[in-house]
Amino acid sequence: MIVTILELRAHILRFLQKFQLIVEPVIKFVIAFVVFRSINNAIGAHELLMSLPAELLLSLLGTFVPPVILTLMAAGISLVHVYVASPLLAILVAILMVILYCFIARFSGKYGYVVLAVPVLFLLKIPYVVPLILGLIATPMTIIPVACGVIIYRMFVVISNAALVENTTAIEDILALYIDVIDQLVADKQMLITIAVFFVMILAMSLIRKLSIEYVFEISIAVGAIVCILSFLVADVMLDVGLNITEMVFGTVGSMLIAMVFQFFRLALDYTAVERVQFEDDDYYYYVKAVPKINLAVPERNVKKISANTEAGFREVTAEPEEENAYEPELSEEERYAMGEELEEGDSEEF
Amino acid sequence: MLNNRKVRLMSRLAMYEQNEGKEDVRLSKYFRTDYVRLNVLKTVVAVTLGYLLVLLLLIVYHSEYLIQEAVTLDYKGILLRYVGIYIIILVVYCSFAMIGYMLKYRASRKKLAKYFRMLRRLRSLYREEDGELMNVEEASVDYDRNDT
Repeated sequence: MIVTILELRAHILRFLQKFQLIVEPVIKFVIAFVVFRSINNAIGAHELLMSLPAELLLSLLGTFVPPVILTLMAAGISLVHVYVASPLLAILVAILMVILYCFIARFSGKYGYVVLAVPVLFLLKIPYVVPLILGLIATPMTIIPVACGVIIYRMFVVISNAALVENTTAIEDILALYIDVIDQLVADKQMLITIAVFFVMILAMSLIRKLSIEYVFEISIAVGAIVCILSFLVADVMLDVGLNITEMVFGTVGSMLIAMVFQFFRLALDYTAVERVQFEDDDYYYYVKAVPKINLAVPERNVKKISANTEAGFREVTAEPEEENAYEPELSEEERYAMGEELEEGDSEEF
Repeated sequence: MLNNRKVRLMSRLAMYEQNEGKEDVRLSKYFRTDYVRLNVLKTVVAVTLGYLLVLLLLIVYHSEYLIQEAVTLDYKGILLRYVGIYIIILVVYCSFAMIGYMLKYRASRKKLAKYFRMLRRLRSLYREEDGELMNVEEASVDYDRNDT
């Protein structure tokens, strides 16, 4: 059973590696489409932007720009929607976004895209997948972009509720609306609790994953999910934040499954990255396509041969999800090129 | 004749240069103090802008009260209070930014040092290849200087 799954993984990886040039843009396109689609579903107000051709066109654009630009596009589109509903609220949202950027978001570093991912996944009801995955791969510092994402999502929830109410232009009403929105934002318990729970999840997971026990990553995902469900339950009972408990539990379980799948492919994913580099020396131009070797393809016949070997072979296979060990020989293989050079040069540094 | 070892080494160098190395090389153009100072300065600007916007939101929020009490307000007290908060926030942010960017700079230098070692290896490959020292020699002398 496990061997079949591992074989399947190897096949998928080989496929991804082979068709990377096609698969990558397709995945990016799908992500961009999901982003724009869920924004339009949640706060759509601008007719033109909501039409399918516009969505497709934007997603196509989103395919070929870096994640930062995609985040900016999403922010811009959200602003346009809010503006159509209520110009005043749009100004407020813009100011709040700038404040968020100045105080928090500019420190998110390479995890900036999380700021976009959190609200979008909130709309898909599985925001818990973000802390579950970040707990596996990142430091607790990533709470910065996560918190930003949560704040942005809650902000849009409050704003879109307010936009439904607002339809007057009298100055007193506008002021009242503004005060109301700010009051709601400041008193938003759900926002603070979500940030706190996500932080505890990331922290707990990154502590656990450093332990040297078997299946440490699976355990840490499970612990993260349990922390998530329990903390939200406790928070809901003690503080009465009006959470939808069923949705939360199912969302967490779903997120957990996604995180498990991610974990299963994670190390392998590093090996799908085919690099294309160009350089020159005095004699040649080089166009190098560097393909990482995949050592995961276990289906080799050696498993079936001798009874003694079968044991060993099988153990190696099942050990794989456990982590780096399985990839170690692969790395050292890669490394050996460099090492070889070094040894001959009498230089023992390693890159 | 293609030299396989050279191609391998150069590919690795190019992969580094064209991905994560870009940032490191950009960073290496600064001295550590300059880099940290620049980024702390950016933080100061960002915090100031953010704080001013928060103040703006606050003023609009309390506008009714402010207009009503415009004559009797203790402007000096209010000013002192908000400037005080601003200074506290600024100090906290700057200290964290300073530590953070220092660590980042150090990490980047470490990676860069490995890169320079590979460059040196490449140079010795060139030497080996055709005895004479080509223009590469001058280039790598520069690299050496940067390295230290």
